[in-house]
Amino acid sequence: MEADTQAHVAFFLTGRRQSELLDAVDGLDLRPALFAGYRELSQLRYDYPVVLVAKPSDEHFVQSLSGLMDAALAAAARGSEAERIRKHAMRLEQEIRALVAAGASGSLSAIWDKAASRLAKGADKSMTDSLRRVRAAIKIDGELADCDAAMPARLLRHAWSEVQKQKAEAFRKDLDRLVLKLSDILKADFERSEAGRSAKHLKASVGSGYNDTFDFDAMSRLLAKSLPKDAFPEIRRKRIRELLAVLGAQQFYPSADATAKKGTAKPYTFFFDSCSDALAAFRERMPRLTELARAIAIAELEIDGQYSEAKHGALFEQFGANGLDPQDLAPFPDYLVCVNAGRLRADEHAQLMEILSSGLPIKVMLQIDDILEEASVGDGNLSSGTRSRQIANMAIGLNEVYVLQSASSNLFRFRERMLRGLTYGGPALFSVFTGASAEASGLPPYLMSAAAMESRAFPAFTYDPSAGTNWASRFYLEANSQVELDWPIQGFSYEDESHQRVSEDLAFTLVDFVASDHRYARHLARVPREKWNGSMIPVDESLTRERKGLPDKVPSVMMVDANNVLQKVIVDERLIREARRCREMWHSLQELGGVHNSHAEKLLARERKAWEERMQKEAEAHAAAPVSAAVASAERSTSATPVAASAPVEEEPQRSPDEAYIETPRCSTCNECTTINSKMFGYDGNKQAYIADINAGTYAQLVEAAESCQVSIIHPGKPRNPNEPGLEELLKRAEPFL
Amino acid sequence: MNMMSDTMSATACLLQMADEHFELEDYQSGVPRWCTGCGDNAILAAVQRLCRDEALRPEKTVFVSGIGCSSRFPHYMKTYGFHGIHGRALPVAEGVKMARPDLTVFVNTGDGDCTSIGAAHWIHAIRYNMNLTVFLHDNQIYGLTKKQASPTSPIGTRSNTTPRGSYLEALNPLTVTLGVQNVSFVAQAADWIPEVLFDIVKAAYHHKGLSFVRIIQRCPEWLPKALDPWMHDPNKVQLLHHDDGLQLSTGLSRVYKNQLEHDPMNIDRAREIASGHETIPVGILYRNPAVPCYEDLRYSDKLRTPDLTRAGLNAELDKYTVWPQEAKEKVA
Ligand SMILES: Cc1ncc(C[n+]2csc(CCOP(=O)(O)OP(=O)(O)O)c2C)c(N)n1
Ligand code: SF4
Ligand code: SF4
Ligand SMILES: [Mg+2]
Repeated sequence: MEADTQAHVAFFLTGRRQSELLDAVDGLDLRPALFAGYRELSQLRYDYPVVLVAKPSDEHFVQSLSGLMDAALAAAARGSEAERIRKHAMRLEQEIRALVAAGASGSLSAIWDKAASRLAKGADKSMTDSLRRVRAAIKIDGELADCDAAMPARLLRHAWSEVQKQKAEAFRKDLDRLVLKLSDILKADFERSEAGRSAKHLKASVGSGYNDTFDFDAMSRLLAKSLPKDAFPEIRRKRIRELLAVLGAQQFYPSADATAKKGTAKPYTFFFDSCSDALAAFRERMPRLTELARAIAIAELEIDGQYSEAKHGALFEQFGANGLDPQDLAPFPDYLVCVNAGRLRADEHAQLMEILSSGLPIKVMLQIDDILEEASVGDGNLSSGTRSRQIANMAIGLNEVYVLQSASSNLFRFRERMLRGLTYGGPALFSVFTGASAEASGLPPYLMSAAAMESRAFPAFTYDPSAGTNWASRFYLEANSQVELDWPIQGFSYEDESHQRVSEDLAFTLVDFVASDHRYARHLARVPREKWNGSMIPVDESLTRERKGLPDKVPSVMMVDANNVLQKVIVDERLIREARRCREMWHSLQELGGVHNSHAEKLLARERKAWEERMQKEAEAHAAAPVSAAVASAERSTSATPVAASAPVEEEPQRSPDEAYIETPRCSTCNECTTINSKMFGYDGNKQAYIADINAGTYAQLVEAAESCQVSIIHPGKPRNPNEPGLEELLKRAEPFL
Repeated sequence: MNMMSDTMSATACLLQMADEHFELEDYQSGVPRWCTGCGDNAILAAVQRLCRDEALRPEKTVFVSGIGCSSRFPHYMKTYGFHGIHGRALPVAEGVKMARPDLTVFVNTGDGDCTSIGAAHWIHAIRYNMNLTVFLHDNQIYGLTKKQASPTSPIGTRSNTTPRGSYLEALNPLTVTLGVQNVSFVAQAADWIPEVLFDIVKAAYHHKGLSFVRIIQRCPEWLPKALDPWMHDPNKVQLLHHDDGLQLSTGLSRVYKNQLEHDPMNIDRAREIASGHETIPVGILYRNPAVPCYEDLRYSDKLRTPDLTRAGLNAELDKYTVWPQEAKEKVA
């Protein structure tokens, strides 16, 4: 083995660098080769900054600046000036991006104006004209937010308040309806009362124009006579008053009129920055919430006239004794807690777990600024992202938590999924990597978080328990690039020494992600260009190799320096071990997402084998007896002709012409027979006639009924009393109805 | 939310508990003053059966009628009722439904009430297609006022207003209704076939929209023999059946052999069947659940607070105010 390769292998195995053969990467300002193009982010168009839309309609609570610009251009840049307007608009977009990146904050309109006035300096009038036209096509406004450490919490809080606003509106509408209808009941009660029918009240309700026309005393005397028999129960009156008091005193939503009445308690807040505070507030308010939910339920019954003391009294006594169901909690505000994973102490961690397993509508944002912290066990063990990822994985295991994990770079794309988590009826966890540890690598947070997602160090996914009953509908992994691969592959081209263009496919692995973080510098070593050799292989390739004995190849990554000059950096085994762990974790996510699912693959293999065997057998059988097989199958198909099923026939009782009966189902309830003899003829439950008691009348009445029956369905049969007078004539009359 | 759809909330459980069981007696009120043998009795029995089977809450059910023998119907129902003015059952019912869409509203109207003095309201009610169940008690005569010809009296009907027999061909309520825009349900029943009458009443109740049921009703008092040809010869009654319409029992099929399969979505065929002369079609002629209801088109979730009502009333009454000269000048 050459000395160079030996030094590489030694570094790989031990992390010890021979300084004359390998350079330290510290201070070289290297970044992954694939990032070469992203040096000046403000020159690029991407999802950020975004506008947190004020007064949004449905899911458009956030818009990307570039998306807004494109839509505005589609509307405003037309005809011969289109190209000019587009160029100017793009200049402005860049300017806004630069301003925001430099720390400017405020609304889109304010920053737009700032950027526009900067550009207008020294530019001709056409610039002002273009920008004015594009601006006119943008109908919304709101705070601009760049992809920085604060953005995820801002975005989530913004979405959450919009959801709460809608809930508040629906709740208030419902409350107003209940209050109005309950008051109506009391009002109706008053109108029927003695006071309501007094001359004074009657006079007041008729109005001053007719004071002399009516005698209100007489009117009152008249009305008093018709006072309702059933008095309005005092207990109900009391109940309704109590309900109105509870509804009026609620603190869960601010009351509709801004000038809240004096004495009404301040509405609660639902935003917290600590799990324990949120839980404590929830517990403390629980009795009030139960009281209000109970009042709403009783009010609904009251209004519908369904409340019955006997039936409901005891039940409502126990209302909420075993906690409330998600459906009962749904109309109330959701709690939002934003915590930072870096500052999460053990007790907060325990409270967070309690929230997630409680089933309560508490939404938690877990902000993760750094996933490259060294493991707490120390001794140089690495633990990229495991600790914070653990929480998301555990939350999925709880089965009824909505879980969203995403790098902040991807959060805009997940906006609709954010909303879904916020409107979900139970707890939700939003675990977001901000990339704000980026100072350690000199990369902007957007790039850092995008790299974390791309390298599978922090994959994006959602788990939505309300989306269905199985993993396929609940789990979503497709936001990650090239989801079926271990590592995403990107095309990369560069110029070599002889100015020839070289293109190759590079896998973006965990090592590429950590390579620019100086805390990991000791696991990397730059190989001077003149020492590059064939024993340096890409990380992904090295991961697929099984090593026996001493390695002859060493993993390396391509990086670029500040001048975009290509560099190769070799990696030690510890980092490779970490990359392997990362890949394993990705594999289990893939399985959850249905990619390379081991159960499915096993089943597929088994079925394929069975199918092949069957085909084999059939081919053999066919070769042996082709003719008889064909005949047999033809026979099978003829004998399979379905036998026509005969419809079941309703049985009708066999009647003797001697028996008296009525074809009851045909009776048209005309009262003829029952008028003749209401004991002999009766009505059944459907008010159709039958012979209730044959002995309750005479044969003469039977015959008369048969004659008057409009639909001729009374059959008088034979007389029972042979001594009844005039039988001979009656029998003759009965003949047509036997 | 899927996760919870199979578990019922505490509130839902309590509301469910309120489900009640009713008997026919719970809907009966007073002894009908109709003549013995009158077909109205059969209609009353079928409707009371419907109320019981569907467990309609009496306090949430309203019967609205005009004037006539048949219009006495609300008196015999132990529900809310409105015995209105001649020809105006439909507009009153529309008002009730508009203000209280949560109520189940039925309309009982006679042939004089609906097709004569109330004809204009009838046409427009069909077009508005509000969710009402309308029973036209068609005895082909003015019953209450003691035998005057009505628009549906067959040509030649002798009555107190047409002593030499009526001169005009009878108006056909089915073809008229089927000719109006937005018609959504038309059926015909005969009081002497109670089984089918009940099935039609039920189908009409379940239809969302205006269901118009013409019930051929016997008036033994003034036209005792008028319907005999149809009653005595079951073949002169044609029963309409379809998978999406009525299904006939074997007992019924034994008596009524003249049957026709008819798809209630086919309006052209419905008009053709309705225009026949010899036989009486009985069954569902037309049903289209897709026609929008006026109360839904005009639905507003604005709460009718006393303030809102007052403001609306004032605005309305101001239209009729005659302002004194000075006030007018002041406003100007
Ligand atoms: C405005 C007005 N005009 C006339 C009458 C008289 N009137 C009462 S009932 C009736 C006709 C009823 O016939 P129909 O509607 O067929 O009901 P039936 O009695 O046949 O059931 C008439 C004209 C009236 N009550 N009001
Ligand atoms: S006479 Fe005939 S139709 Fe009338 S109630 Fe009696 S059985 Fe029924
Ligand atoms: S007059 Fe005719 S419609 Fe009126 S109750 Fe008597 S039978 Fe019935
Ligand atoms: Mg009539």
